Amino acid sequence: MHEFSISSEIVRNVLDTAKTNDGKKVVSVQLEIGELALLNVEQVTFWIHELFKGSVAEGAKVKVKTVKARIQCESCGYKGGMNLDRQDSFRHVILYSCPKCSSFQIKVEKGRECTLRRIQVVR
Amino acid sequence: MKIIRSTGPEIFDIELEKDLLAKNRGLAKENRRRFDRSNILTIDVMGSIGSGKTSLIKAILKRLGMGEKVAVIAGDLTTTIDAERIEAEGARVIQVNTGKECHLDAHLIRRAIDRMKLNGVKILFIENVGNLICPGEFPLGAHKRLVVTSVTEGPYTIVKHPYIFREADVIVLNKIDLTKPMKVNTAQLERDAQQINPHVPFIKTNAAKGIGIPEVIDALGLKT
Repeated sequence: MHEFSISSEIVRNVLDTAKTNDGKKVVSVQLEIGELALLNVEQVTFWIHELFKGSVAEGAKVKVKTVKARIQCESCGYKGGMNLDRQDSFRHVILYSCPKCSSFQIKVEKGRECTLRRIQVVR
Repeated sequence: MKIIRSTGPEIFDIELEKDLLAKNRGLAKENRRRFDRSNILTIDVMGSIGSGKTSLIKAILKRLGMGEKVAVIAGDLTTTIDAERIEAEGARVIQVNTGKECHLDAHLIRRAIDRMKLNGVKILFIENVGNLICPGEFPLGAHKRLVVTSVTEGPYTIVKHPYIFREADVIVLNKIDLTKPMKVNTAQLERDAQQINPHVPFIKTNAAKGIGIPEVIDALGLKT
């Protein structure tokens, strides 16, 4: 549900950046979203396209790069990625537990970000 | 830091490094510094819709009997119902209406504390919008996070929302008087909570009757 507020924030940043750089038109936007961020990428891109309408960024391409997670387990010491390929009903639970020992006591080092990385403008 | 370079006759690449969630985390840290400076213990109360967040806060206020030394920021989409219920307990209350938003964020809290008279306040409760998903991603700067769930939500609430329960410092299971009619196994709910977050207190309450409230006050470190 908070995809809308994050998307609005992204759009505000894109339009501000375009303006301060004399962009007449925004061609593309590149985002990096961590695979552990509680964000649905499809919803985020949908809202960005919607909110771009009627602005210099209308029709801009929105590219989203997924940032792989990196965690450290406080129970077994595992360091590394997460196994997020499971598609069953426990997939959501897997997001928060160690892939090796299933402990929930993990520290997330990477994979929770939502970064506006790059925009392309026509001057 | 921006680097602008031309990639063609007209198109310019503008590189940015803007983590949009980090902005909220930064504001939350600022809020925390303000609470620390004013010596106000702040508690973010999160939980699902109808789990009893307001009732629990009311019961705690009644038990503490600290009047205006306690303040409450009541978050809600559009109404002031919760704020009015809490005001009846003598606390200072400010309503924050989020409109369409499903959570409070650190910026809204900063605006609320700018408008509140906090002199003499020792404890501040922030009642978040009823939601077990979004508030977890938006820290507000509170010292402690209390998550409220209730037996009427059925047997799977905790296991289905591990993220928010992992963030909790205290977990409350409310409406235990309804355990029997709901046919819910509270021991299983406690095991679910302990698996996700083993080191935090899990307290069973009936906020309407004041049952379990002293334990919650204790767990939050609100002894006065």
